[in-house]
Amino acid sequence: MDLVFRALVLFAAVYVLLRVVGRRELAQMEPIDFILLIVLGDAIQQGLTQDDYSVTGALITIFTIAAIQVAVGYITFRSARARSVMEGEPVVLIENGRLLERNLRRARIAADELAEEARLSQVTALSDVAWAVLETSGKVSIIPKKN
Amino acid sequence: MASAAPDQIDLRRHRDWEGRTYERWLPNVLFGLICIIPVLALFNVFGQAPEVHKVANPNGAATLELSAPTTVRSGLIFQARFDIRARREIKDAVLVLDSGWLESLTLNTTEPSPANEKSRNGGIAFDLGDIPAGKLWRQYLEFQVNPVNAGSQSQGVTLYDGNVPLLHLNRDLTIWP
Repeated sequence: MDLVFRALVLFAAVYVLLRVVGRRELAQMEPIDFILLIVLGDAIQQGLTQDDYSVTGALITIFTIAAIQVAVGYITFRSARARSVMEGEPVVLIENGRLLERNLRRARIAADELAEEARLSQVTALSDVAWAVLETSGKVSIIPKKN
Repeated sequence: MASAAPDQIDLRRHRDWEGRTYERWLPNVLFGLICIIPVLALFNVFGQAPEVHKVANPNGAATLELSAPTTVRSGLIFQARFDIRARREIKDAVLVLDSGWLESLTLNTTEPSPANEKSRNGGIAFDLGDIPAGKLWRQYLEFQVNPVNAGSQSQGVTLYDGNVPLLHLNRDLTIWP
């Protein structure tokens, strides 16, 4: 029984933590972000199963996590409001070549990083970007201006 | 010429943050809550730094000093050290621990090993034998918290000389899940 509660509590805690850390950091996977994920997995495992080495314990844990995952997925599919809370919403970063400084600040993205994203999309100048949008996945969509 | 916003992008909402006020303050509040936990941990709120409790016999026969954490977390290993100082000879010293010392806790080590162990009023009695006047008896107990254990339990300690209680110490152990 306690395994189910542990899984529920830790799922919620990690979810909140990842939302606070920010989607951009999670999608980027810079060395410092790897540290968080590696330490996170190890720390959670200790608290989740503790000294339970049984197959039953492992099954209870993974089924509980999977059930929560599916339930959350269903709720976010059915409710736009829940989706906005659980997954966040896109943020427009560039509009017609103009950097939206306030949104960059809120998303903790420097202009340099945005320029890097633009180069990855074969765009050499930010002024040539029609729209840059920080998606809920943490990736930045770059839409170049039409010639 | 300005191009139209991509599909599903609502400029009022996704550019100007209209209707998303909670996204301005909620992450900061959550970040604050996350920071509170390590700060509380630094102040030993979640254990397991030992605390020292001392109690003396009213007639000056003995003192008991207990060094052990009052807050631990499930699965942790911790130590309890009992220092019994006899002011006068205690011919038949018996240290009685409340059941809270063993309830869902695993007693790994008792050093030195008592001459005898038995149950007394639901607690466990360690027969320490004779403690001469002016001598110190140092008893170590090493515990581990069982993983499913959480909550608070009473951990009183009583020192007897035979059947005569000499002193009693009250304490509680809080266990975080």
